[in-house]
Amino acid sequence: MAKNVLLVDDSSTMRKIISRSLRQAGLDFGEIFEAGDGQEALDVLEKESVDIVLSDINMPNMNGIEFLREKASRDGIKDIPVFMISTETGDDIIGEAKSLGAVGALKKPFTPDKVNEVLGPLM
Amino acid sequence: MREKFVNSFDEISDKLIESTIEIFVGMVMMDISVAGDPLTKLGPMKQSITGMVGLAGTHKGVLAVHFPKPLALAVTSSFLGMDVEEINEDVQDAIGEIANMLGGNLKTILSDKGKDIQLSLPSTISGDEYNFSSQAEAEQLIIPFKAPDGEFFVEVELEHA
Repeated sequence: MAKNVLLVDDSSTMRKIISRSLRQAGLDFGEIFEAGDGQEALDVLEKESVDIVLSDINMPNMNGIEFLREKASRDGIKDIPVFMISTETGDDIIGEAKSLGAVGALKKPFTPDKVNEVLGPLM
Repeated sequence: MREKFVNSFDEISDKLIESTIEIFVGMVMMDISVAGDPLTKLGPMKQSITGMVGLAGTHKGVLAVHFPKPLALAVTSSFLGMDVEEINEDVQDAIGEIANMLGGNLKTILSDKGKDIQLSLPSTISGDEYNFSSQAEAEQLIIPFKAPDGEFFVEVELEHA
C-alpha cells in the first residue's frame, strides 16, 4: 500500500523539489502533506494519517532536532519514521538526530536517483 | 598564519566551485561554468537579488550568492519547473535555498563535525542598486559563474581566526 508522506521544510521551493524528486524517482507514495517547521509537522501528525516524515533540520520556530525530541515524547506519533533531508550533515548533528529516532539522512543537494536509492527501501 | 588562511581559501574555492556546479546541474537543472578567476571585490549590485546565510561559531562570516534579476527569474523557473516573471516570494525562497545549500556545503568544507559552526536561516535582499559590504577584518572570495542567461557570483567572507 502506498505510503503517505509528510514533507517538513521552511522552504516552499524545497518542498516542491522533494515532491518532484519523489515522483521522478518512481517511488510509490500516497498523499503528500507539507509543514513549514517542526511545530506545524507535529500538528499534521496528530491530525493526519502519515506513514513517513522527510524533514529538514535548520528551520525557524521548531527545528528538526527539536521536532524529533518532541515527537519522541508523544505516544500516538513517536513510532512514525523520520528521514532527515538537510544541508546539515555533520557527524555530530546527524548522530544526535539518529539518537532521537531519525532513520537516515540525505544531503542537499540531491538527485532523483539518490532519492530513489536512499528512500526506496523505506517506501 | 595569514598565508595558511589564504591557502585554505584556495581549497574553499575549489570545493565551492564543485558544490555550486553540483547544485545547479543536479537540482536547478541548469548548466553553469566558472567565468574566470576569483575576484576580491564587487561593485554595487544593480537590478539584482542576493541570497545569504551567516556562519557563527569556530568560523564566522557570510556566504552570499548574487544574481541579476533576469537570471534569478530563469534560475527560479528552472528550479521550480514553472514560469516566473517577476521577483516574488518564490524567487526569494529559491534564491535563499540556493544560498542555504551552498552555506551547508561551506560548513562541511570548514568542519565535518557540524556543531562547531552554526548556520543562520537564509535571507534575501534585492533592489535597483545596493552594496554588499564586507566586515573590515574579513577575507573575501568571490567566484564568478556563467549561466545561459547571464553571470552570477558566489561570495564568501570569513573573519580571520
